[in-house]
Amino acid sequence: MAKIARFRLETIFDLVLMILGVIILIVSWGYGFGTFRRPGPGLYPFFIGALVLFFSLILFILEMKPKKTESVFTKEGALTFILMIVTFCLWIVVMPLLGYVVVTFLATFAFTKIMKLEGWWKPLAISVGTAVFIYLLFDYWLYIDLPRGILG
Amino acid sequence: MEGWGLLYNGFINSLTLVNLVACFIGALVGTIVGVLPGLGPTATMALMLPFTMKYGATTGLIMMTGVWYGAMYGGSTTSILVNIPGEAASVVTCLDGYQMCKKGRAGAALAVVAVGSFVAGTLGIMGLQFFAPFLGNAALSFGPPEYLAFMLLAFVLLSNLSSDAPLKGALMIVFGLFLSTVGINPMDSYPRFTFGYDNLMLGIDFLPIAMGFFGISEILSVALEKYVKPEVNKIRLKDLYPNRKEVKRSVYPTLRGSILGFFVGLLPGPCTVISTFVSYALEKRLSKTPEQFGQGAIEGVVAPEAANNSAVMGSMIPLLTLGIPFAGPSAVMLAGLRMHNVEPGPMLFTTNPDVFWTFVAAMYLGNIMLLILNLPLVGAFGRIAVIRPQVLMPVISLICLVGIYSVRNSLFDVWVMIIAGVVGYFLRKWKFPIAPFIIGVVLGPTTENSVRQSLMMFKGDVSLILDRPVAIILLALAAAFLACKLAAPLFGKKVALKVEEDDTL
Repeated sequence: MAKIARFRLETIFDLVLMILGVIILIVSWGYGFGTFRRPGPGLYPFFIGALVLFFSLILFILEMKPKKTESVFTKEGALTFILMIVTFCLWIVVMPLLGYVVVTFLATFAFTKIMKLEGWWKPLAISVGTAVFIYLLFDYWLYIDLPRGILG
Repeated sequence: MEGWGLLYNGFINSLTLVNLVACFIGALVGTIVGVLPGLGPTATMALMLPFTMKYGATTGLIMMTGVWYGAMYGGSTTSILVNIPGEAASVVTCLDGYQMCKKGRAGAALAVVAVGSFVAGTLGIMGLQFFAPFLGNAALSFGPPEYLAFMLLAFVLLSNLSSDAPLKGALMIVFGLFLSTVGINPMDSYPRFTFGYDNLMLGIDFLPIAMGFFGISEILSVALEKYVKPEVNKIRLKDLYPNRKEVKRSVYPTLRGSILGFFVGLLPGPCTVISTFVSYALEKRLSKTPEQFGQGAIEGVVAPEAANNSAVMGSMIPLLTLGIPFAGPSAVMLAGLRMHNVEPGPMLFTTNPDVFWTFVAAMYLGNIMLLILNLPLVGAFGRIAVIRPQVLMPVISLICLVGIYSVRNSLFDVWVMIIAGVVGYFLRKWKFPIAPFIIGVVLGPTTENSVRQSLMMFKGDVSLILDRPVAIILLALAAAFLACKLAAPLFGKKVALKVEEDDTL
């Protein structure tokens, strides 16, 4: 859906980078510049912060003119996006408790359904296959000790 | 000659089972990734990096180059058969490749491309073999000011060549440079931007950032796209023979593409992509029948494909001789070599010559493997292109999650990867180039060291740089490029060589 707008998510991102530039300048000022002869820890990040601020400011000004923009998401797309992120986050939170094999199975299943893979057998088969593949790859081939959780 | 003796040793080292298997897996995975639209070589290399940790640096390097190389081979398959480029460097191949397919010459196009890629790859390795040690020796005289000047030139070119909007490229580089300052600074053990958070003391690791920006953001993009089932044209083995005329027409474009690609590979930015555009334009200009381009001219298929293969080898030169990566995949390689405690640069040829020569030998073998793999299996690779993303993306997501956790057993790294993935998704949508950011992250520490060491060398007197002719020439080149770029709109001219970075790079 294209619409004409002056303030877009993109310009807000430029603004965020400008604020980041200012924060880098302030924080690195506190680290101490030293001298050009013996540079302190703050000198280099200060210059980087100045460049972040400079480039994002110009970009912000250039992008202020109203122009046609495509929205990043459709309504349905936004839901898929959020559900994907939630699944990623849940994997991180639950993995140490239930173990990586079980959570891998659950997460794969969730991903297939979020991405609208039809039926139940196919998603189930893919989830079991992925869990077994990951177990064999990391445990048998690479000997990496990962949290096993309830599977002990 | 000493080089041949070292190469012979390299062949002996590379003929171990582990290295051969690594080369094969790299080439195979690379070809599959090249065939699959979406996931690019950079994401795949970042994804495979943890798996190389168990083996030596050389094995890791071989596997990753195999992926990059294989992706260049595989990318052409879908361009010709389905009219969908598997990765950015095969966009040009679609123009004439698919037209050839429509005329029933797909088999011939694929065969000529496979052989052309093999020739280009071999010529590229020869170039690497001869130029790299020579340039490495020359770079031994480089001090911090020369390194700094070289990196500044690289940053200027990189921001201009990798995006439609150079400002966005520049912003991405400095953002990457900033991120690399987080953590304890090794020069004076001073913690910066950690805000008292222990996990940030060691800095933000490169791998989760690369996997997030290239892998997770790609998965999110594909998940949100509408899936249209591509139609694949079937190929039989007997169709793979090009006729005499096609072979004759392919010889010189292959050689021209190989040489051109190798030198374009030395440029910072998406060199493989640029090499295909430049080579296509060159062939069209040289052709006696330019009107056939776009209608299925074999020169327009074989030359760009040769160019992108030799460009891979060309771009290994700045990485191996100076330790400065010019493209996304070589940035991942640098990070990988550092994880194996090998620092590429001029000293590589004296401290770890075996790494370089084993790598060169393995690449010769890898190239042969790819040729053998690609010709008979082209039909099978074509079928892979129709695997639905709903099947593939969940599996890749989980490999990303478990893979990144397994590197340091750190959930913090997984969080970093997810956040980087979300940020990367939006950056892609807003057409911010990702590769300059990653190169900024990986070159950040070297840049800071060069700045501080240069200042200390000059005892604070920056004008002493005038005594360093190499540094001055490099800085002058950067300034001249910027001046041309800024002055161009005044004369109503646009500077050419602007290639929009594709998502996969």
